[in-house]
Amino acid sequence: MKKDKVFSFVVRHLGFLKDVPLLPHVFDSLLKFRVFLRNPVLLDWLDEIEAEVLQWEGTVVGLHQYGGIQFDHKGKEIGHLHSNGLLDVLYTREMKLLLLKEGRIQPHHVFEKSGWISFYILTKEDKNYAKELLKIAYDQVQKKFATRKPYTAQSVSP
Amino acid sequence: MTTNFYRATLLKGFAMSNLLALLMVGLFKYTKLQDSGALVFSIFVIVPILMGIVSSWFWMKINLKSNALVGYSLINGSLAILFSYVFLREGVICLLIVSPLIFVFIIAGAFLGKRMFQKNNQTLNVSVFSLLFVVFVTDSLSEHNYVNLVADEMVINATPEQIWKHVVAFEKIEKKDDYWLFQIGMPSPAQTTVEGYYKGAGRKCIFSNGYTFDEKIVTYEPNKDLTFDIIGQPLDPEIMGHIDILRGQFLLKDNGNGTTTLIGNSWYRLHVFPIWYYDIWAKSITRNVHLRVMEHIKMLSEKG
Repeated sequence: MKKDKVFSFVVRHLGFLKDVPLLPHVFDSLLKFRVFLRNPVLLDWLDEIEAEVLQWEGTVVGLHQYGGIQFDHKGKEIGHLHSNGLLDVLYTREMKLLLLKEGRIQPHHVFEKSGWISFYILTKEDKNYAKELLKIAYDQVQKKFATRKPYTAQSVSP
Repeated sequence: MTTNFYRATLLKGFAMSNLLALLMVGLFKYTKLQDSGALVFSIFVIVPILMGIVSSWFWMKINLKSNALVGYSLINGSLAILFSYVFLREGVICLLIVSPLIFVFIIAGAFLGKRMFQKNNQTLNVSVFSLLFVVFVTDSLSEHNYVNLVADEMVINATPEQIWKHVVAFEKIEKKDDYWLFQIGMPSPAQTTVEGYYKGAGRKCIFSNGYTFDEKIVTYEPNKDLTFDIIGQPLDPEIMGHIDILRGQFLLKDNGNGTTTLIGNSWYRLHVFPIWYYDIWAKSITRNVHLRVMEHIKMLSEKG
């Protein structure tokens, strides 16, 4: 998987600035500007992914706190997409291991040992795979909500 | 959606965001919120973000794709830059320097606005606008003062005595400019003349476009130290109200082996903010002014 060297450099060396209000969004705009000049079709693919995810029941899109857009289902994050085409998705550890075996994803670019994974969208096929990755995470979150016991007075009584 | 509606909506976005920028910059300039005349960071950061948000508010009706939103934001930024050229009489090089800042913050504002208005939460919208406005006013009323020094050094294969005469004044630099900003039209140092070889003497630094910096020698220690204050700057729109060159200095250090280290120092005051952006340019330009002059002195001194 080809890495975005500029992005990796900024995350590694200037990551401490991520909590400065608006700064991650300004950086993400810089990425958009670069993509617009060098590979505008990527922005179309990101729009397409966003449109597809928003069709799934109960999903909403918002700004990710560290730049890019974030997909949520019932208040729980499914994943987020940076404007350079880097998709970060959260899975259970078992699912992460399973997907790693497919060889297309990598452990998260910062939190390698967590359930997060990273995937760079570089081609049209990658775009379709990104949708699949998000759908798997969506199904996982949905399943979790479905199996969660409903809150009743009886269930909390001693 | 008809083509006319699309075009009218686009135009409204361009017009209203630029009108807002014009009002804010006008308010800032003509109410003299800054005693020092500095152009604060809000002008280059908060105003473009607000422009992006305002244009987004109009453009959400035509549901622009990301590429279109970036493209139209760039056009919007270009219009703002064009208006700055016409109404604020800014120089072309200055506008070139400021443009990346304007473009990036307009794009940031446009996408921020897009997400804000998607949520359709009036409390959030009012809060964001109020917060940005408060930052603008606070920044405009705050004191801004930034002075910096740029120092460069060069080893010359000549004695301090051989170098000194070329430090105080030198004939025209014939070498072609090799710094890209000089190549595209920023004036570069061309010649220095002096009234006399003593403390208090007047000195003139003449640039390639004929503009002259008037200087006065304040330290004159032959073969060691030439320090001069800048007492008159040219009325060039590229520097007027943006940077004041305060003082220049050449120090010569005998290395004891037939070579001399020539040190060039310049002190300047910046009137444009944010410093983290403009000081990169100020340092780069000052450094290239130094290097052009110092390389010329080196060439003359080593020639004998």
